[in-house]
Amino acid sequence: MPDESRLATADRPLVFAPKPSRAPPSSAIGPIAWMRANLFSSVSNALLTLLGAYIVIVVFAAIINWALVDAVWEASNRRECLDKVGRAGACWPGVIAWIPNLLYGLYPKDQVWRINAAFLMLVVWALPLWLPGVRSKLAIGLSAVLLYPFPASYFFHGGEQDLLWTALIALGLAAFAWVWLTTFSERFTGLSFGAFVARVTGDAEQPEESARLRARIGYAVLYLAALALAAQWSLSEVPTRYWGGLFLTLVISGIGITFSLPAGVMLALGRRSHMPFISLCSTAFIELFRSVPLITILFMFNTMLPLFLPVGVEVNRLVRAIVAVCLFAAAYMAEIVRGGLQAILRGQYEAAAAVGLGFWQSTALVIMPQALRIMIPTIVGNFIGLFKDTTLVSIIGLFDLLSMARAVGEDTTWLGLFLEPFFFITLIYFVFCFLMSQYSLNLERRLGAGQRR
Amino acid sequence: MKKSLTLLGAASVLFAMTGADAGAQQTLAQVKQRGALNCQVGLPTPGFYALSADGKWSGLDVDMCRAVAAAIFDDPDKVRYQSVTSAVRFTSLANGESDMLSRTTTWTAVRDSQLGLEFVGVNFYDGQGFLVPKASGIKSARELDGATVCVLTGTTTELNLADYFRANNMRLQAVTNENVNVLVETYLGGGCDAYTNDKSGLAARRSAFPTPDDHVILPETISKEPLGPVVRHGDQNWGDIVRWVLMGLIEAEELGVNSRNLDEMLKSDNPNIKRLLGVEGNIGQGMGLTNDFMVRVIRHLGNYGELYERHVGANTPVGIPREESLNALWTKGGLMYAMPFR
Amino acid sequence: MTAATQRSAAGASRTTSIVNDAFVRGVFYQLLTAAILVGGLWYLVSNTIENLSQRGMAAGFDFLGYSAGFNIVFTLIPYREGDSYLRVFQVGIANTLLVAAIGIVLATAIGLVMGLARLSTNWLIRNLARWYVEVLRNTPLLLQIIAWYFGFFNLLPVPRQSIEWGGTFFLNNRGFYFPAPVPQDGFGWTGVALGLGIVAAVAIHRWARRRLEATGRSFPSVLVGTGLVVLLPTATFLLTGSPLAWDIPALRGFNFRGGLSVPPTFCALIVALSIYTSCFIAEIVRAGIQSVSHGQTEAARALGVKPARIMRFVILPQALRVIVPPLISQYLNLTKNSSLAIAIGFPDLVSVWMNTSLNQSGRAIPIVAMTMGFYCAVSLTVSLLMNLYNRRVQITER
Repeated sequence: MPDESRLATADRPLVFAPKPSRAPPSSAIGPIAWMRANLFSSVSNALLTLLGAYIVIVVFAAIINWALVDAVWEASNRRECLDKVGRAGACWPGVIAWIPNLLYGLYPKDQVWRINAAFLMLVVWALPLWLPGVRSKLAIGLSAVLLYPFPASYFFHGGEQDLLWTALIALGLAAFAWVWLTTFSERFTGLSFGAFVARVTGDAEQPEESARLRARIGYAVLYLAALALAAQWSLSEVPTRYWGGLFLTLVISGIGITFSLPAGVMLALGRRSHMPFISLCSTAFIELFRSVPLITILFMFNTMLPLFLPVGVEVNRLVRAIVAVCLFAAAYMAEIVRGGLQAILRGQYEAAAAVGLGFWQSTALVIMPQALRIMIPTIVGNFIGLFKDTTLVSIIGLFDLLSMARAVGEDTTWLGLFLEPFFFITLIYFVFCFLMSQYSLNLERRLGAGQRR
Repeated sequence: MKKSLTLLGAASVLFAMTGADAGAQQTLAQVKQRGALNCQVGLPTPGFYALSADGKWSGLDVDMCRAVAAAIFDDPDKVRYQSVTSAVRFTSLANGESDMLSRTTTWTAVRDSQLGLEFVGVNFYDGQGFLVPKASGIKSARELDGATVCVLTGTTTELNLADYFRANNMRLQAVTNENVNVLVETYLGGGCDAYTNDKSGLAARRSAFPTPDDHVILPETISKEPLGPVVRHGDQNWGDIVRWVLMGLIEAEELGVNSRNLDEMLKSDNPNIKRLLGVEGNIGQGMGLTNDFMVRVIRHLGNYGELYERHVGANTPVGIPREESLNALWTKGGLMYAMPFR
Repeated sequence: MTAATQRSAAGASRTTSIVNDAFVRGVFYQLLTAAILVGGLWYLVSNTIENLSQRGMAAGFDFLGYSAGFNIVFTLIPYREGDSYLRVFQVGIANTLLVAAIGIVLATAIGLVMGLARLSTNWLIRNLARWYVEVLRNTPLLLQIIAWYFGFFNLLPVPRQSIEWGGTFFLNNRGFYFPAPVPQDGFGWTGVALGLGIVAAVAIHRWARRRLEATGRSFPSVLVGTGLVVLLPTATFLLTGSPLAWDIPALRGFNFRGGLSVPPTFCALIVALSIYTSCFIAEIVRAGIQSVSHGQTEAARALGVKPARIMRFVILPQALRVIVPPLISQYLNLTKNSSLAIAIGFPDLVSVWMNTSLNQSGRAIPIVAMTMGFYCAVSLTVSLLMNLYNRRVQITER
C-alpha cells in the first residue's frame, strides 16, 4: 500500500508507520509446529516420544482400569466386591468405611472435632504470614512454632491440667489472640499491637515511658483473659495409645521437623567448634545416627529404652518413637546446616568480628540467615524425607497411616483387602510431599537462591 | 573444673538413688497402681485379636486380657492393648513394657527356658496345615517336593515348615513375610504353590478368597501349636494369677457355670463350684486377688466355651468347629483340662 | 568460635576476670559436657545391668553358635537350616551388600539418563522425566517396594508359562532364572588373561595421560584399554578350547531347577530401590551440570574446543565436584534403605537378623548392636573415602 503518508511533505512530517507483520508460516506456529519442535525434532527424538507416550498410556490405562473403571463403589463386605468383579477391580467401600480410622486412628469418634479444630487453629495462626501489610512476620512465625504446641497438645490429649500446664496453654492462647490483633492493627493502622494499645488508651503527646507501660498493661490483660479461658477449658483425656492414622503421622513428623532445625543448627555449630571435645561429641553423634537406618534406631528406642531406664519407669511408646525420629532428623539436619555454613565465605565471619559481634551474635545475625537461605531446598527435601520415613513407626507398633491401612485387611468384614488401602495412603503421602516440594521450589525462586543463566 | 566434678558426683548419686528405689515392685502391684493391665496382642488378626472399623479390639486372646483385668479390677475394660509386630513381642514383654502377652504364641522349650518367658497354659490348640489350589491336584503335603510355599516369618510356623521338608527329604522354596495379607495376595497371584499357617487361620483366609471352593486344605497337620498367654519369668505370683484365670475359665465350662446361670450357681451346693466361685476357700486371696475373682470374670465374659463360640466358633466368620477337635473339653475328647481348683 | 573472636576475648581476659577468658570457658564447657555424658552413660549401663539380671534376660553372644533352624529364601553364600546364627548374620550382610551393589549401579545409570532427560529438548521426555521424579520421590519407598512387588513381579506368569528368551533365561512369578557358568579345567587361564588385560589397560592409560600432559598429543587409551580387557581373555578362552559349561535351568515339578535364580522379592527390591534413588540422583546430576557456569562452555567454545571435549575436560570435572558428595550420600541412603526389604520379605540383614533371628533367639541387645555396628562400619568407611576425595578436589580458599 504505497500511500502518500510515506512521503514527507511540508505540512506532514515523516512518520514511521510499520506494516503489519506477516503471519508466520504454518510450519512455525500452531500445535503441529510445536509438536515438530518439541516432540519430533529428530528421528531419535520421535522414537523417544512414541516410546514415552506408549509407556504412559499402558501404565495409566492399567491403573485407571483397576482403580476406577472396574472398581466397586458400593458393597457391605469384601465378599460382595469379590462376587462382582473378583480381583480385577478395586473394592473401595472397605477403604471408605475405614477412612475415619485412616485419618484419626482409634481416637474416640465423638472427639475427632478436637483434632480438626487444632489443625484449623494452626492454619489460622499461620495465615497472617501470607497476608500483605503484616510486618511482624518473624514474631508470628516464631509464636506458631514455639507456642502453638501447647494449646494443640491440650486439644489432642486433654485431661487434667496442673498450674504450669494451664499457664503454658494460656500463653499459647494469648499468642494466638495477639497474632490476629497484631495482624489487624498492622493492616489497618500500620502500628504494632503494643503501639496501637498505647494510641487508643492515651494521647500521643504523652512521654514514651507511659505509652510503653500502657502497652505492657495491654499484654497483661490479654494474658489474664487467656488464663481465665484456659482455666475454664476442660476436655476429656485421650491417651496417646488411641492416636493414629494420618493424625499421628502429622504429629510425629511435625514435632520431628520443628525439633530438627534448632537441634541440627546446634549440632552443626558443635561440629565446627574449636573445642575439641565438643566437636568430637557432635561428630560422633551425627555420624552414628546418620550411618544406621532409621528402622534400627526406632527399634532400639522402642525395645531397649525400657531396659536403660530404672525398673518401673514407663515411657510412653509414642514419646519413644518421637525421640528417635527427632534425634535422627537432627543428625541429618546438622549435616545440611554444616554444608550451608561451609558455603559462607570467611570474609563474612571476619566482617562480623570486625564490627564487634560476638560468637552468638555473628552466628545468629550474619552467618545463619545466609546459610539457611542457601540450604532451603535441601532442608525442605529433608522434611519431606522425614515425613515419608514416619511410615517406619508402624514397625514398632504405633498405629500410623500405614498400620491403619494394614488393619483394614484384617478386619473380618474386609478380610484380605490389602492393595486398596495402600493405594489410598500412597495418594495421601504423595499429595502432602508434592505440595511441600512445590512450596520449596516456589520459595527458592522467590528468594533467588538459585543461580540462573 | 572443680565445679563440674562436684556436679558429676551429685548427678551420679541422684541417678543411683532413682535406680535403687523402683527395683522391687511386683507386677500385680504395678498393674494395680497403674489402674490398667498392659496386655500385648499382635497386629490385628481375625478371631484372636481383631480390630474393627469402630476401633474396638475383640477376640479369644483379647478376652484373655479382659479376663485378667476383670479378675483384678472387676472391670474388663481396664486394659491397655499393645499391638506390636511379632519381631519385638518377647522383647516388649521382657523389658517390662507389657504385663502379659496374649497373642497366639506357641509354647516351646527354648522360649520357655531361654527367653526369660513363662508360659502359663494353653487357651487354643492349633496345628500347622497347607492350603493349595484345587486345580493343582495335590492331595497330600508329601507331594509338595520342590514347591514354593508362602509362610509367615518370625514364627514357629517358619521353623516347622523347614523341619517338615527336611524330615521328608523334600526341596523347599519359601516366600516369607510378616504380613499375612502380602502372603495371601502372593498366593492368589500364583507366586507360591501352597500357603501354610496354623489351621485356625487357613479356613478364615480361604473364606475371603474370590472363589473359596477352588482351594483345599490338605489333611496333614505338620506341627503341634499349643497357644497360650505368656508372662515374664521371675514373678511367680503374677504367673499364678494369669494361669488360674485361664484354668478358671476352663473349669467353669466343665462345671457348667456360665454368665447366664452364675447367680444360681453361686447358691450351688457343689463344693467344686463353691471353691471356683470363692464361696468357700481362699484361693483368690492367696494370689493377692479377691476370693470371688472368677465370679467377676464369668459375669463379665463367661466361661471358656462362651469365649470360644463368641470369637472363633463355627458360627463366626473364622468358623472353627469345636466338637471332636483338640479344643473340646477333655470330657468330650479334647485336651482342654483344668487343674483342680482346691 | 571463630579465631577472631577467640583472640579478642583472650586479649580482654588479662584485664578482666577469668570468667571471660575464652580458653578457660572452653575447658569448662568441655568438662561439663564430658561430665554429663559420662554420668548419663554410667546411669544407662547400670540400669541395663540391673534390668537384665532382674528379668532373667540373656545378653551374651553365646547364641551365635546355636543352630538357627529356619530356611532363608535367598542366600548369596551357602547356608543350610542347621547352620549357626553367626552364619545367618553373614548371610544377611552378604545379601544386603549384594542389593546395595546392584542397586547402586542401576540407580546411577537410571539417574544419569533421567537427569539428562530432564534437560532434554523433547517436551514429552522432559515432562515425563519431571513427573517421574516428582511422583516417585514424593511417595514412601516402603509403599513403592510393595507396589513393585504386587503391581509387577507377582503378576508375572506362573512357571509353566514363563517368559523365556532362547530357552535359557526365564522370568516368572517365582523369580528370574538364568544359566550358571560351570568352569571346566583350564578356565583359570582366561582369568589370568583378564587380569593381564586390566593391568595393561591401566598402564596404557597412565602413560597416555602423562604424554598428554607433557606433549599435548592425545592417545585413544580408553578404546585401546577396553580392547585389551575384552580381547585378551576372549582369545585365551577360545584358544584353551572354551572351557566353560552352562548349567541351564529347566522346569521340573513346581519350579525351575538348575542354573542361578533370584526371587521376585529381590527383583522388586532392586527395582524399587534403584528407581527411587535414581530420582534423587537425577536431580543431583541436573543440578551438577547446571552449576557449571555457562561462561565456561562459551569460553571453551571460543577457544575452538570440540563439544565432546568441552564436556569431558571443562564441564565434567567441575560438575563432578558438585555431584560426587551428594551422590555418595545417596549411595549410603540406598544401602540403608535396603533395610525396608522387610516389607516384602527379602532376607536382607535387618529382615533376617533383626526380625527373624531376634524373634527366634530373643537376644535384643547383641542383635541390635551387631546390626547397627555393621551399618556404622559401612558408613564410616565410605565417609572416610569421601573425605579423602573432598580434600583432593576442594577449591582452596585463600
